[in-house]
Amino acid sequence: MIRASDISVRLAGRPVLHGVSFEAAPGTMTAIVGPNGSGKTTTLKAISGELQLSKGKVTINGDDIARLKPFELALKRGVLPQSTIISFPFTVREIVGLGLSTGGADGGGNGRTVDEALEAVDLAGFSGRFYQELSGGEQQRVQLARVLCQIAAPVGDGEPRYLLLDEPVSSLDIRHQLTIMQLARQFCEGGGGVIAVMHDLNLTAMFADQMVMMKVGRIRALGAPKEVLTDETMEAVFGCRMRVGIAPARDVPFVLPQTASL
Amino acid sequence: MPRSEAMDGARGPALAARIVHAWWKGDRSGLARTLIAILAVLAAATFATSIMTGAADASVGNVLRWLAGDASGDQALSMRDRIIILDIRLPRAVLGMLVGAALAVSGVVMQGLFRNPLADPGLVGVSSGASLGAVLLIVLGSTTFGPVFALFGFYALPLGAFCGGLATTMLLYRIATRSGETSVATMLLAGIALGALASAVTGVLVFVADDKQLRDLTFWGLGSLAGANWTKILTAGPIILLSLCVVPFLARGLNAITLGEAAAFHMGVPVQRLKNIAVFSVAAATGASVAVSGGIGFVGIVVPHLLRLVIGPDHRYLLPASALLGGTMLIFADMLARTIVSPAELPIGIITAFVGAPFFLWVLLRGRSNMGL
Repeated sequence: MIRASDISVRLAGRPVLHGVSFEAAPGTMTAIVGPNGSGKTTTLKAISGELQLSKGKVTINGDDIARLKPFELALKRGVLPQSTIISFPFTVREIVGLGLSTGGADGGGNGRTVDEALEAVDLAGFSGRFYQELSGGEQQRVQLARVLCQIAAPVGDGEPRYLLLDEPVSSLDIRHQLTIMQLARQFCEGGGGVIAVMHDLNLTAMFADQMVMMKVGRIRALGAPKEVLTDETMEAVFGCRMRVGIAPARDVPFVLPQTASL
Repeated sequence: MPRSEAMDGARGPALAARIVHAWWKGDRSGLARTLIAILAVLAAATFATSIMTGAADASVGNVLRWLAGDASGDQALSMRDRIIILDIRLPRAVLGMLVGAALAVSGVVMQGLFRNPLADPGLVGVSSGASLGAVLLIVLGSTTFGPVFALFGFYALPLGAFCGGLATTMLLYRIATRSGETSVATMLLAGIALGALASAVTGVLVFVADDKQLRDLTFWGLGSLAGANWTKILTAGPIILLSLCVVPFLARGLNAITLGEAAAFHMGVPVQRLKNIAVFSVAAATGASVAVSGGIGFVGIVVPHLLRLVIGPDHRYLLPASALLGGTMLIFADMLARTIVSPAELPIGIITAFVGAPFFLWVLLRGRSNMGL
């Protein structure tokens, strides 16, 4: 269980998060959504231990993350950043292999895990390519493969592990969006937990168990997609008057931008 | 910072290297180990050659015989040979190897720390800062810093250079890095400013220096191995060797930090400690080198860059390979320096600048698009 209790964060003296609290249980996928600048990424960074909290605390499987050493955290959770620019000519295999060498994850540094991780993100055969020459979407999937090498199994040392993903599908085509979301789903079904910052509300509604909807640094709605995605919250949080629909076959709510009026 | 479009203009290594990479499926570790073995042999060969060549004739064979205790040869000749080989050429080659390795490895560590291939202690003012530290000690050594000399003896000069280098590196890092992201342009420009400031203060000190101090100072600006002797090796050697022994432990962390400081932290790297040790190692290695041989530029940028083209940026291999190639290249440059205008001698800094400056421009033009310039 990852638990954020009443966390506040200041960036450059300016308060950015105000008393955010939620829990992400193992076996579930939590999506953080909200308009630009609402504090989604800051929340994820606070949970990863990257940012200093001005108030509150974050625990992972009961341990306060502020007390864990970087390598201890690295065994419990992996983090996918929004985009990563590298100025040295690493090959794809070398980048993905970094997840093995620094995380101290289960496997020894054998090449099989790298290949498996690349296959999982649909990049089999890319290991000899140069990272800098890949498209943005391919780079994003290489980084995800690296995180999957660091956190190879959803459960390790008898504890659930977590993936923290910052807009994991933002620059992917629709097929790979589904591939990656299914990968995250499988990680949950294996007993791990996923917290993802998402932009696509429909994908979120399809895959997430819990939605954290934020606006200007505060949580405005929290719960299952069906409870959070309503006409009222869409107007209150995003400033869009629109109709939330329900796809008849799967009982999943969806929002059509065609129905919006600004 | 979503700027992946900017990468489109980036070009990878040359065709031959790309074929090799495709063949190894992106795994260059075998290639890297092979290259390190070759470089070790090359370093030994260059070292031996530099002892055997020079303006004066001297037979290494005679000296070896003398060392073996065989005194049957012409005693006078052996004595002359002995001095040329053991007290002039050998310390010079040893110092060249040490300084070359120190400069190349400092370059690698700084480039890893600043996350770009243009960071070089010589270019961004660290060497100037180190010079300032040493000059301060030379000029004020008899008065203000008298106790420092009394306390540290030979080591006072490298210590001064270390402090100067450390202060410059820390200041530069502060200026060029914001919340874990380094701006290449800011780094280069701030480096120029810091270097100029350090040189200006050095200039003031030179102005107030007396004649004896001036003589001590003159050879500094140019950079040279000409003054090599065993005392200098005993002074700088331990510091450089210590740095060279520490940096391999930073290799994995430096690899991780190429993805950004946040990503390195996520992967379990204690980022702050890594940065502290890296800055200290760079300052110590650069400071010790500057203290004994002045500012020799561009080794720290040429050597790592050439090696990255072949074996890639993995610091576990890049660090040892750079140490070997840096030493080899500096000894080779020194052989050129003392033979092309023989019996006179060019300062080695001139040779490294002739090779290094165009090389730097080439790296700059080639990598413009993916370094945010």
